[in-house]
Amino acid sequence: MKERNAERTGSLVESHKGYDPRLILFYFGIAALLLVLGGGLAYQQLFKTDAYHDIERIQNQRRVLMPGSRGNIYDREGRLLVGNLPRFAVTLNLVELRGEFLKEYRKIRKAYRESDDRDLVSASQMEQVARYTVVERYLRQVNRTLGTGTTLDSKELQRHFNQRLLLPFVLVDDLTPNDYAKLIEQLPVSSPLQIYTSTKRYYPYGSAAAHSIGYVSSVEVSDADLANFPGDELKTFPMKESVGRTGLERRFDDRLQGQAGGVIYRVDPAGYRVNPPLRKLLPMQGSNLVTSLDIDLQLAAENQLAMNELAGAAVAIDIGTGEVLALASKPDFNLTDTTPRISSENYKKIEESGGWLNRAVQGVYPPGSTFKLITALAGLRSGAITLDTVVDCQGALMVGRRPFPCHDGHQHGPLKLREAIEKSCNVFFYDRGIAMGAQAIADEARRFNLDSPSGIELPFETTGMLVPDPAWKLRTRDEKWFDGDTANFAIGQGFLGVTPLQMACFVASLARGETETKPTLIHQPGRPRIRSAPINLPTPLYQAVLQGMQQCVQTGTGKILSGLLKIEGLAIAGKTGTAQVMTRKGKLNLAWFVCFAPVENPQIAIAVVVEGDTPNEEFAGSRYAVPVAHAVLKDWFAKKNRRASSGMASLNTTTENVAAR
Amino acid sequence: MLPHRIFQRRPFLTLAVVFAVWLMLPLFVKRAMRISFFEMQAPVDLTASYVRDLQDYWALRTRSTNDLIAAGRDLARLNASYEMTLQQNATLHREVERLESVLKLPAFPEHRSEVARVARRDFNGWWQRLTLRKGRNFGITEGSPVIFTGGVVGRVSKVGLYTCEVEMISSPGFRLAATIEGDSRPISYQGGENPTLGPAKGIAEYVPLDILASLTAPKRIVTSGLGGVFPPGLAIGSLVRLEGSGDGLFKTGDVRLDSRLSEISEATILVPVKPAGY
Repeated sequence: MKERNAERTGSLVESHKGYDPRLILFYFGIAALLLVLGGGLAYQQLFKTDAYHDIERIQNQRRVLMPGSRGNIYDREGRLLVGNLPRFAVTLNLVELRGEFLKEYRKIRKAYRESDDRDLVSASQMEQVARYTVVERYLRQVNRTLGTGTTLDSKELQRHFNQRLLLPFVLVDDLTPNDYAKLIEQLPVSSPLQIYTSTKRYYPYGSAAAHSIGYVSSVEVSDADLANFPGDELKTFPMKESVGRTGLERRFDDRLQGQAGGVIYRVDPAGYRVNPPLRKLLPMQGSNLVTSLDIDLQLAAENQLAMNELAGAAVAIDIGTGEVLALASKPDFNLTDTTPRISSENYKKIEESGGWLNRAVQGVYPPGSTFKLITALAGLRSGAITLDTVVDCQGALMVGRRPFPCHDGHQHGPLKLREAIEKSCNVFFYDRGIAMGAQAIADEARRFNLDSPSGIELPFETTGMLVPDPAWKLRTRDEKWFDGDTANFAIGQGFLGVTPLQMACFVASLARGETETKPTLIHQPGRPRIRSAPINLPTPLYQAVLQGMQQCVQTGTGKILSGLLKIEGLAIAGKTGTAQVMTRKGKLNLAWFVCFAPVENPQIAIAVVVEGDTPNEEFAGSRYAVPVAHAVLKDWFAKKNRRASSGMASLNTTTENVAAR
Repeated sequence: MLPHRIFQRRPFLTLAVVFAVWLMLPLFVKRAMRISFFEMQAPVDLTASYVRDLQDYWALRTRSTNDLIAAGRDLARLNASYEMTLQQNATLHREVERLESVLKLPAFPEHRSEVARVARRDFNGWWQRLTLRKGRNFGITEGSPVIFTGGVVGRVSKVGLYTCEVEMISSPGFRLAATIEGDSRPISYQGGENPTLGPAKGIAEYVPLDILASLTAPKRIVTSGLGGVFPPGLAIGSLVRLEGSGDGLFKTGDVRLDSRLSEISEATILVPVKPAGY
């Protein structure tokens, strides 16, 4: 009966009476194990919390870096030279398709099962196929909406899935505004298909100032771009940003580069994102840059150079400030072809045409007769030339046993300095050069910094310019310096090599009566006038050189500027030049022209060089280089007059606008 | 006989069985059930709507004859002005067609309009959706634009036999390609998070930087016609605030929607009859 009661109440536990001392040992054992367990737990929880927290964070969090768009580049009058254009792409967030991938995978697995697992592939291959099928379905939807036939690259999809899962997968890039409008309207807001906006560089003037501006290319956003954003230790997915490769884009990359933004997401064990993000920092646009270039003058120089269909360069400088108004080099390249990326075909094409070379700062040329100005200054300084010095030009000068011919074989007869510059008489400068010695000429050239880079804010400015002297020849060639070398040197030939920018700086310095002009491509309203060491020649002597230059334009070798290409109301002082270079093709001529204007109040200095392409071709500076300078001067003078007539009020407004940028 | 405890748990077991059966039902059965639920609900909505109309009718009957005469006069004036606008529109329409054929431009989509009364508007989704009293019986199709005197109402999101559901322009799930009036560049409009009793607003994105708008000088935004769903030029709302986005490329701003959207009782569904030529 008792047993039955116990059964009914469910009390089936056996009870023991009395006390077994062996149990104590057992209790101790249990207690010790519990202590170890508790201690271990406490150690893990209390002391190793931070370590585990860090491990968990690294395992479960991902960081995406987004670029900030680059700043704009303007010309000195506030006209946009480089901006940003939105670039629309339709993208697919693969992380949102996890469910669909799984469903598709099951469908494929089922299909295999139904066919008795015939030709069964691995699970990962089935997953790949499932992903491809799902993404392809979305692409078909896009194609249907846009009426396009874009196909899916399975390898690209696989790569993206493995390496950049948190970033949107681009299905169709570079959408037109109409395509973008269609997709916005026809895609559901909650669709994994989304419109992604990035930027590409926009060049309203195409190839204008291509070398000065430079191009950009894409790289991944680096951690360094993202100051004060945590998560360096996290697995990071960087998006693409643009970095300057050449020109001002490269030199001022830090300033133009936008502040990158970032997002930190929590992810599940499969790497899929869990919304919302844990942390977000929006990217910011980079600072703008106002260049000293005047796009009107730049275009004038480039168009005229292009008309020659020859390689060449032209530089125009503001004499007072050293700001570069135009810096042209031909052949060049269309900047629009470099964005959003430059194709290898285009790159090769530009390389073959010689378009990458910025001849204004990288081209080293003998300056030819334009160098006679330096020789004249050196002669005046050394006393080898005075205002009364007369040299009788008989068409050539015998130096040693070799006749050195005059310019075009002319017999100029007795000449003084002004006429020698005007007529570009070689014999005068051979004779006086030998009289003063090569060292005096070299010293004068160095006084004007023709032996060192100008320091302009452009990367890759050549350091290959050369002002030779006897010591140099002995040191580098182990040869003695001859009078013939001096004769060549005196007329800007021989070993001498300078860049067009250096010659423009030299002319600007000469016009100011000083010795140094630091060129700059950055515009600064109200920039103070340059002050450098004076030429230190008595005024009459200095004036004689300037008068020679003025006569050169009026009646001498550059007289076309007083005839066919005359600019009414503008007095110009200039010097033409023709130099020869030995190339693989043979001896090619270079046409030079340097000038400044107005003579009475110098404001703009120009240097132009045009490369001949046919050996031994008649190639005078006045024919090829002068029209380029004329085009620039004409535009500059017209603008100056317009500005003067529109009054100072509007000028101030422009300056303030530019300053505000 | 089942033990006593199992009898006690019978309701839970039944629920579990029903749940299991629902889970195992084929997809098409579930879908059919959902649709039939929508269709079964429609007569209830329709009846309620007709009752409301009757209520309004009797309310209007209480008006004096003088009121009716004044209203009739106003209506006559309004009709006259509409008549004139209609004539102008017809002329403009012919001109547009002529230019399209001369310039070989793609034709804009053409629509047939179906005026429909609002049958139901859910208080919980006041700014999200409303139900109109016409459905497949009038040839309404999914995705058709819906408009009223103040501009765009929304887009047909679901069509039943006698009713259709409209996703409203003020719903966050609604997006279209718009333009600022007088500017051809497309921008994106999307409905905002709108509380039931508050004013409705939306969000404009990808607005070009040179566009300026403020509360005191708002900019009207209209449909672009580029998206292929809405014809161009339909009013969306007014851009009342703009701020630059982080990338420095565009502005983002608030769009104030027509306040009459909250008391809308009738709308026009534009049923496409000629697809867009784009």
